[in-house]
Amino acid sequence: MPNSSDSSAQSRRAFLRNAAIAAAGLTAAPLLAQSVKLPFANGDRELVRYPQKRPLIRLTTRPPQLETPFSVFNEGAITPNDAFFVRYHLAGVPTSINSDTYRVEIKGSVNSPLSLSLHDLRKFEAKEVVAVLQCSGNSRGFVTPRVGGGQLGNGAMGNAHWKGVPLKAILAKAGIKAGAKQVTFDGLDKPVVEKTPDFVKALDVDQANDGEVMLAYEMNGQELPVLNGFPLRLIVPGYFGTYWVKHVNDITVIDEVLNNFWMNPAYRIPDNDCACVEPGTTPKTTVPIKRYNVRSFITSLQDGAEVKAGRAIELKGIAFDGGSGIREVVVSSNNGKWTPTKLGKDLGKYSFREWHARWTPSKPGDYILKVCATNNANQMQPETASWNPSGYMRSVIETVKIKAV
Amino acid sequence: MKRILIPAMLAIGFVATAKVVTIQLPVETASYKAGAGVELANSQCLACHSADYASMQPPKPRDFWTAEVAKMKGKYAAPIPDDQTNALIAYFSRSYGTDTNAASTVAFDSTILDPQTLATKMGCLNCHNVDKKVIGPAYQDVAAKYAHDANAMQRVREQITRGGSGKWGTVPMPAYTIMTDAQVDSLANWVLSQKAK
Repeated sequence: MPNSSDSSAQSRRAFLRNAAIAAAGLTAAPLLAQSVKLPFANGDRELVRYPQKRPLIRLTTRPPQLETPFSVFNEGAITPNDAFFVRYHLAGVPTSINSDTYRVEIKGSVNSPLSLSLHDLRKFEAKEVVAVLQCSGNSRGFVTPRVGGGQLGNGAMGNAHWKGVPLKAILAKAGIKAGAKQVTFDGLDKPVVEKTPDFVKALDVDQANDGEVMLAYEMNGQELPVLNGFPLRLIVPGYFGTYWVKHVNDITVIDEVLNNFWMNPAYRIPDNDCACVEPGTTPKTTVPIKRYNVRSFITSLQDGAEVKAGRAIELKGIAFDGGSGIREVVVSSNNGKWTPTKLGKDLGKYSFREWHARWTPSKPGDYILKVCATNNANQMQPETASWNPSGYMRSVIETVKIKAV
Repeated sequence: MKRILIPAMLAIGFVATAKVVTIQLPVETASYKAGAGVELANSQCLACHSADYASMQPPKPRDFWTAEVAKMKGKYAAPIPDDQTNALIAYFSRSYGTDTNAASTVAFDSTILDPQTLATKMGCLNCHNVDKKVIGPAYQDVAAKYAHDANAMQRVREQITRGGSGKWGTVPMPAYTIMTDAQVDSLANWVLSQKAK
């Protein structure tokens, strides 16, 4: 006990000292800067503490894009709010939000336009879901040949327990008019230059009304961090993060299909089963990106780790897909036979599913560990990575290279 | 416990009252690499995004940067003057791409003396507005701040030619040394002549 209280007092003192330096002036900030190197060209990144966040991997400063350090995913199936990744498109980030005067407008092709406060929203029957939020460009830095865009490692994903109101209930109150095709979502973030297309996304009316899409006012039992969309964020379980509009304050029902920059040409994938084309070529036709494909990761070991030969260790990791749920996760060593793992607690079909397995490196040497998930729709991760010009939808079997000594 | 938590929360830029949640983003430190054309990159690109948007990109040839500049102009409506497009492509291809021999085509017309034309061509108006704060302060606020300062002209000239420290916000102004003394004088005079209406 004395030891542990000593060390916690020490770390608290260290934290306060750092905090005091940061508060006193920013000249000291570089002294605190830690950096990481993501394993691809130009992958040097700083670890930086943002408001309501622990130090995260900074991809860009303005608009802010922060990636979760991969070790966080080994801490549990739920990603803590202060470790959750951040991705903005436009530098007009809201930095002061009054939750008392905040309103979300529901308008357009509806019978009764609404203007709802957070208090009003809490009067609707609440819905809760554990769901993965993954950026469309997650893992883009690993795409070969490399493509332009946000050069992310594997940390632009997270899994949270969301609580809010089903969009269906709100749309029912407003009353969608016959002939409506889509529902558009706009948030408080705005472009710097007036003519830059505002970040507005759309879902088909059927999907908006599916009972699963919701407006979340809580994330892991707390208000959302500002940088994750406080006070209200659209949740589209199973769908890539581009649809999860932050600070959503404008919901408009429209009679056509939204064709702005953010729906077309941005965030589109080749219109075929693999969402892929020959590397370096341009797809003939594209469609908006939709659901996650199957992914799995080893989280307990990262590249370059050393373990003891002849001693059993526990391999741990996570798997997820776009909403059918994970059926099986298998692992292999040095391209040997695939071995089943034990799946962890089922938190729902949209959640990370933890897995674990005992494994013993029989003798000293290099080991290539692989992990592969299959979902309940019988979709399995591919052996080789597919390619598309935007670097979306990476789902290849992941590999970790370690050494036993 | 409160005495510990409160300064810690302030230090990471997070303040919540009953109604309003306010955050303060860290001061920007990323900047474009030095080299011919960097002032155009500073003036035409930094209004909307930080320099790390370029430095994180994979090593790519000139075609990549040509497409990026075209996307910024065409899709994001970046107000890049046509006569600066090639110089920007050359700067990025050389500084962040694999085209290390890209020839510099930077030429800023030293005969322009009209301050509003200068402010547009140099991209000043991407970050500043006469009467409202954008990324940088409104020119009226700058004029008001220095209204009774005998060294006002010198201070504004230095702000333009040496850049700023971020005292007006979290985005420091880069230095602009591409203009002649006469052009800097013209701009500084114009900024200081802006009176609130």
